[in-house]
Amino acid sequence: MTRFLHTGDWQLGMTRHFFSEGVQERYTQSRFDAIRSLGRVAEEEACQFMVVCGDVFESNLVDRKTVSRAIEALKGVTVPVYLLPGNHDPLNAASVYRSAIFLDRKPDHVHVIEDAAPFSVAEGVEIVGIPWTSKRLVQDLVASTVGQLEPVLDGIRICVAHGMVDSLSPDRSDPAAISLHAAEDAISRNRIHYLALGDRHSLTEVGASGRIAYAGTPEPTDYNEVKPGFALVTTVTRETVETKAISVCRWKFLERRQVDLNTKEDIDSLRSWIDDLEGKERTVLKLRFVGTLSLSLHAALEELVSDAREVLGAVQTRSKHLAVIPEDTDFDDLGFSGFASRTVQQLREQVGRADPDSIAARDALALLVRLAGRER
Amino acid sequence: MRLLRLRLKNYRGVGSSEVQFGVRGLTIVEGPNEAGKTSLGEAIRILFEYPDSSKHKNVSAIRPVHRDAGPEIELEAESGPYHFTYFKRFCKKPETSLSITSPKSDSHTGREAHGRAEEILRNTIDVDLWKALCIQQGDAIEQANLSKQTSLSMALDAAAGGHQADPREESLFDKVRDEHARYFTERGGEKKDLQRSQKDLEESEQEVVLLTQQIQELEQDIERAATLRQELKRLNQQEQELRTDVAKYTESLDEIRRLEMALETTSLKLDSAKKSEEAARREKQVRQDLIDHVAKVRGALEKLDISSASSTELVREAECGLQQAESKSNMAEARRKDAETLLNLRRADHDYFNNKLHLEQLRERKERIDLAREKADLAEELLAKNQVDDVVLKAIQKAEHSLITAQAKLETGAPTLLLRGLADLDLQIEDQPATLSASEERRMSVPDRIRVTVPGSLQIEVTAGASASDLQKKVEVARQKLEKACNQAGVSNPGEAGKAFEERREALQAVERQKDVEADNLRDLAYDELERKVRVLGQSVPAYPSSRADKPALADDLESAAKYVRYADSELQEASAAWEQARAELDTARKTHEKLKERAQKEKVERNLKAEDVTRDEEKLTRSRANVSDDQLEARLSKATQTVRNEQDCVTSAETALRDKQPERIRALAETAAGSLRTVKEKRGAASTENTEVQTRLKVHGEEGLHEKLQAAQSKSDRLRNEDRALRRRAQAARLLYVTMKNERETARRAYVAPLKERIERLGHLLFNDSFTVDLTEDLTVASRAMDGSSVPFASLSGGTKEQISLISRLACAMTVSQDGGASLILDDALGYTDPERLKMMGAILATAAKECQIIILTCVPDRYSNVGEATVVRLG
Repeated sequence: MTRFLHTGDWQLGMTRHFFSEGVQERYTQSRFDAIRSLGRVAEEEACQFMVVCGDVFESNLVDRKTVSRAIEALKGVTVPVYLLPGNHDPLNAASVYRSAIFLDRKPDHVHVIEDAAPFSVAEGVEIVGIPWTSKRLVQDLVASTVGQLEPVLDGIRICVAHGMVDSLSPDRSDPAAISLHAAEDAISRNRIHYLALGDRHSLTEVGASGRIAYAGTPEPTDYNEVKPGFALVTTVTRETVETKAISVCRWKFLERRQVDLNTKEDIDSLRSWIDDLEGKERTVLKLRFVGTLSLSLHAALEELVSDAREVLGAVQTRSKHLAVIPEDTDFDDLGFSGFASRTVQQLREQVGRADPDSIAARDALALLVRLAGRER
Repeated sequence: MRLLRLRLKNYRGVGSSEVQFGVRGLTIVEGPNEAGKTSLGEAIRILFEYPDSSKHKNVSAIRPVHRDAGPEIELEAESGPYHFTYFKRFCKKPETSLSITSPKSDSHTGREAHGRAEEILRNTIDVDLWKALCIQQGDAIEQANLSKQTSLSMALDAAAGGHQADPREESLFDKVRDEHARYFTERGGEKKDLQRSQKDLEESEQEVVLLTQQIQELEQDIERAATLRQELKRLNQQEQELRTDVAKYTESLDEIRRLEMALETTSLKLDSAKKSEEAARREKQVRQDLIDHVAKVRGALEKLDISSASSTELVREAECGLQQAESKSNMAEARRKDAETLLNLRRADHDYFNNKLHLEQLRERKERIDLAREKADLAEELLAKNQVDDVVLKAIQKAEHSLITAQAKLETGAPTLLLRGLADLDLQIEDQPATLSASEERRMSVPDRIRVTVPGSLQIEVTAGASASDLQKKVEVARQKLEKACNQAGVSNPGEAGKAFEERREALQAVERQKDVEADNLRDLAYDELERKVRVLGQSVPAYPSSRADKPALADDLESAAKYVRYADSELQEASAAWEQARAELDTARKTHEKLKERAQKEKVERNLKAEDVTRDEEKLTRSRANVSDDQLEARLSKATQTVRNEQDCVTSAETALRDKQPERIRALAETAAGSLRTVKEKRGAASTENTEVQTRLKVHGEEGLHEKLQAAQSKSDRLRNEDRALRRRAQAARLLYVTMKNERETARRAYVAPLKERIERLGHLLFNDSFTVDLTEDLTVASRAMDGSSVPFASLSGGTKEQISLISRLACAMTVSQDGGASLILDDALGYTDPERLKMMGAILATAAKECQIIILTCVPDRYSNVGEATVVRLG
């Protein structure tokens, strides 16, 4: 029996363009903090070791500082850690794992899996890792590697790999996709007893054996991830397997695909929804607005978004389906009668026309309302 | 507001003064300097502006100079619905009172009065405009600032028929303009913020491109490093294999070189033996050549001896032939000469006969000519006498014909007398004897009268009638004509005429014939020549027979002579041919003889030379054999040949041994292997160097954190792009708003200034002409004047014109606002720059304006305003 912590896709050095500088730093730090959290979990759950199934780094070309901070975080982990190069950090000529700083500072309990030769990590437990040596593979290395292994007669063999299983791959013709059938066949023949996978950022169990799983990324990286932020405490015997998902994340990526906005109440409702969010500083929002707003309500919405941006990690908005149409009420209070009034009239006519200038006309009206409001 | 009365007391230098103004129209306040005219305008302003307790310097300034009393101002005026009298005393015992009489009586004092007066004024007139319109002494040239004048604005708005603009709209426009100015220059160019935004964006995008390139280069290096690794491995293996090959081939080449040296040695020996053999062979050959040569020379000498003897014989034979030919030739020549002589003689004979015949012929020809000439002379004589030519003959024949015709007619027309013989009978007819045979009938015509007499028996006379007589006359006429014609021709009757004609024709023919005879007989000779030839031949021919030799005898005739000539000529031909033949043979014999003689001589010389050669060569052979005999030479050659054969066998075996080692193949392979090794080494070196470079680059750049840098640059670029987009969107909104509002405002302003412009131009037409127009600025001042097609900016106008237009502008303004909240216009000594002519027109303008508003003119030069029409004149001082 062996128990280990299955994780992967740390993507250290990842940046998100929608983050401001300060938020980006927070986000980066959180990913390093996640390593420490994983270390704690491994310790708490009495794991013998930890496997990181590829994409430890976002790129081989990450900054020295990123490598240093990763190593610092790894130093805090008390169990042996086995790092597998993935497609983002392949073991090529520029490999981060061969960089001077990594080699100089790497603690002894941290190991890089550099080839597919099985090696022992504890008594009766061995690991066979399948590292990526370039960014693109042209064949299913898992199938070809485990297919050549001798069955384990006494003991347990964990396979650590990176890549998309064919049953989940959107590209069915991908020659590098990992064959689920071959993997399950290897498991059934005792060649391996567990296939720890990386690449998919969502926690996912694959196949029916219960011995193949993606642990997902410890901190979410995008809106489309179904179950990010976990690590798997995996207990394997030759007969049984048991996995326990433990949340380690602190960030949330939330997307609302349709936020209906037509009235002041709708805006108020959105405001209270945002107010009710927990952990705002580590929440990333994507809002797609749908509806029709007057100039003044649109100004209120912009104010709301602006306020939200000040407290949330990031707020991305999409207004393609949001129409902003000047209404009489927008100008009622202005009380103009001369050329300003005719200006309003002129611009409103322009807004009504379906040409590129209509947006500029709408903005001009909004500006006029703002300047006039200041006047009052 | 209309000023009705103004009273001043203790005001500057004025002790007391009161002026009544005209309610409408013009009021001219005249007075010399320091009479207090200017004080009137000033006093009205101070009255409304300052409370009685004011310590303002303007107030202090109006204190009387030499009196300790407070300056007093009292104004009676109408403004809007109000009619009031407003009094103030300043400085000393200050006091304010306001007494309103209309619309309802009311009075106020002190501060309250000031406040109320202010309120009335504010509510009924535009104080600012009023101040702006008034011209104080010395400021006439400048235009009034009318831009912020509410009452003017209201009036213009009303005139424009639009909605009245909210005063805040101008302020809003200022803000809109400021907002626009944040992004754009007045000319529409982008300002620094926009430019910087664009520049920052471009820089950041450039940074992204740069970093992307760097990363791509690194990616390429990474791929290259993998390739190089494989390449180096492969090259190392190749190098190892090639080294083995090179060592193997080097060993083989050493062996080949050893064999080649052996071959070289044996080849050298073979060459030496061959040379020895060649020398022996050559010596033998030289001997043999000498022997052959001696034999050959001797043979030749013998041949020459035979040939020389033969030649001598031939020369002798040729000499005999030559002599014979000479003899033959002489004989032929003698024969030819004889033949020639005979031929000449025969020819002379022939000529003799020929000349003889010729002489006869010539004589005959001469005789024929002479005869013809005589006949011709006779014919010429006849022709001279005989005139009957063709014409004359025809005329006679014609006359004869006429006579015969007349006679025939007479016979036909006249009675006929038929005489029929019954027996032979003699009778007389017209006394002419006649015979009539039996059964003979003789018919006679009786033209006139005929008488037939039978002698002795009967005389019958028959007489014709009258018609026969006419015919008879005609006959007679015809006869006379015929006779005349004959006479003229010298003949007696037509028959004679015909004969004469024939004689004449024959004479002509004789003359003609004489020419032909001469031509035929003279032929190509003249008559004299013919005569001479006859004479010469007549002498020579008879002399020939006696002058020639006797033999051979002269031929009998010409034919024989000709035959002898032919014979002699034939003989000469033959003799000449024989002589030619003999001469040719002689020539041939002579040439043959000379040629043979020459050859015999040459052969003799040749033979002597050859005999010397034989002697010399035989001596040489003898000497040579004395040194080495022929047998010795043969033995030497045999030995050398054997040595060559032995050495050749050695070389062949060495060649076979070398060939078995395939030297060319081994060398080619060795060379190829060495070349390949060098190439592989170079390739490996290059790959190794490149690998080092790639690894260095990867090491250097791989740890630069390009990934994060690129991410950061992309984030920054995205952020800047969004900011730029937002900034441009704001700028575009500001521009659109500004442009739209500016246009609208401009449109409004154009409508708004139209009445004022129209009034200014209407007044201006009086001063200038109908083409006068003005452009107004935003603040309603005149920007430029246009007249007669040319526009001049206001600032560039002359002082006088500026003053006049400023005044016109004020008047137009005052007229515009006069209906609603209008203000009096006070002009203090205006038009100081205006010439008399224009003063006149300005008077008309003032009079026109005064119909619509109150105008008060303060002047110390009353004449200046002598043309203002009807006016209230007040004199001060």
